[in-house]
Amino acid sequence: MSVPAFTFAVRLRLRSTLSAAAALVAVLLIVGALFPAVGDSIGKLNLPKGVADLLGGADYATITGWYRSEIASFYGPLLISAVAIAGAVSSTAGEEEDRILALVLAQPVTRTRLVAAKGAAVAAAVAAVAVAAWLGLIAGVALGGGGISVQHLAAYCVHLAFFGLAIGSVALAAAAATGRRALATEVAAAVAIAGWLINGFAPLADPVAWLRFLSPYYYYAHNDPLTQGIDLVDLLVLAALAAAMTAVAIVRFARRDLRG
Amino acid sequence: MTPAILTSGLSKDYGSGRGLFGLDLEVERGEIFGFLGPNGAGKSTTMRLLLDLIGPTSGSASILGLDTRRESLEIRRRIGFLPGDLALYPKLRGADVLDYLAALRGTVDRRVRDVLAERFDADLDRPVRELSSGNRQKLGLIQAFMHEPEVLILDEPITGLDPLVQRSFHALLGEVAAEGRTVFLSSHSLAEVERVARRVAILKAGRLVVVDTLDNLRGVAVHRLELEFGSPAPDELFQALPSVTEVRRDGSTVTVAFEGAADPVVKAAAAYELVSIRSVDDDLEEIFLRYYGDDA
Repeated sequence: MSVPAFTFAVRLRLRSTLSAAAALVAVLLIVGALFPAVGDSIGKLNLPKGVADLLGGADYATITGWYRSEIASFYGPLLISAVAIAGAVSSTAGEEEDRILALVLAQPVTRTRLVAAKGAAVAAAVAAVAVAAWLGLIAGVALGGGGISVQHLAAYCVHLAFFGLAIGSVALAAAAATGRRALATEVAAAVAIAGWLINGFAPLADPVAWLRFLSPYYYYAHNDPLTQGIDLVDLLVLAALAAAMTAVAIVRFARRDLRG
Repeated sequence: MTPAILTSGLSKDYGSGRGLFGLDLEVERGEIFGFLGPNGAGKSTTMRLLLDLIGPTSGSASILGLDTRRESLEIRRRIGFLPGDLALYPKLRGADVLDYLAALRGTVDRRVRDVLAERFDADLDRPVRELSSGNRQKLGLIQAFMHEPEVLILDEPITGLDPLVQRSFHALLGEVAAEGRTVFLSSHSLAEVERVARRVAILKAGRLVVVDTLDNLRGVAVHRLELEFGSPAPDELFQALPSVTEVRRDGSTVTVAFEGAADPVVKAAAAYELVSIRSVDDDLEEIFLRYYGDDA
């Protein structure tokens, strides 16, 4: 990995990463503050299982269910996916489409080390958002009256980070392989959103229930880290996906013509 | 000594007749070599192949004896490159961009960079997006020269530079060549290359048309004399001369194009009353336009 390329990529994304982290913390605090007044009054919604699953169980009566439904089911993975995808795509296909990459690659740095550095920068941004999420959750849960342990919140944030890494690596692979910003963004976003939908709906029909195992979202959420803690197998699957996609990014980028 | 740049049958086929086809070129060490051709002729493609930004369809190339595919990293350590359509990080200051490129490179003497910035009167403190294209181009030149590379590959380097900076740039090229370093620069304009290059290659539609010294190219130039007569001179007067290729008449003024020495034309004209003689020698630009053909 090229250290200058890594620190530079982190620096270029610093402002947007910190903005995303700050926005996430603000939302987590507001959600926590609203729980005593709103969550209790909604209680547990009686919804079809697929819909309830999409909403993280739709149980608003407990602080765990409240955060699962309000944050963990959609907003958290959406935000971290956005940070990961934007970072991965802008630093590779974005620079290529903007014709900056030709100048960078005129320096004595291998393409492999360059892509590895960009991937590491995405991981750093994802980690920063995950840590912010953890701190925001601790404060938010306290505002909501407590009820989820710091360890379980940490476990959730680790799952969130691994999900972000997996989606970010898909974006990195698509961007490095094609050099096309829009295409790479669409592919990675499709994997994230389709994964979320498949995870919710596939179990409703037995013949296709297995499809959920193909969804990164399944490994992020199914074990409910907010109550069950870390699931090492799930994390391993997400890490394997991230590693495989990063390898694809490196191999494809090393072999193809630069666009422009 | 191995040549600075050597290409052998270098080709990049983009389909539909676009690309570069069978380029055989040798650039000696210490020379300033002009690479000319109209837009789309394949100049940038050649340079991108040399930088290993793209791979050839066939053929090969080497720089300083190193293969551009297998030994690209070592090549990039020893060359400086200015892309034709230079783009930089718009939100960053010029100094930040140069710092980043220097960090990637690892070995850049800050003093060399500062001297270059002073020489080009470059503004390193403003964000790139606030700079004019000429001032951005200065940053591109500084990054290409700042590590004192053995070979410089410059794609349309003069673009956007004002005449004063052009002069500094040309002086710098001269110093670089005097130190035995090599400059390979492309342009679609001869005027840009004429002042600095000794040899040029002309590319048209992806194929090499000619490689020669500028002196030799000047030697084959068609010369013209514009002769104003006090009384009409007959057309046949010049057409009968074997070296004359074209005679044009505009009132009392006759323009005679010829090859070789002017002597026969002047002697023939002297038989009549001459008001003025003006040499409108075919300049190099016209030679190049002939090579460029319809693409010019």
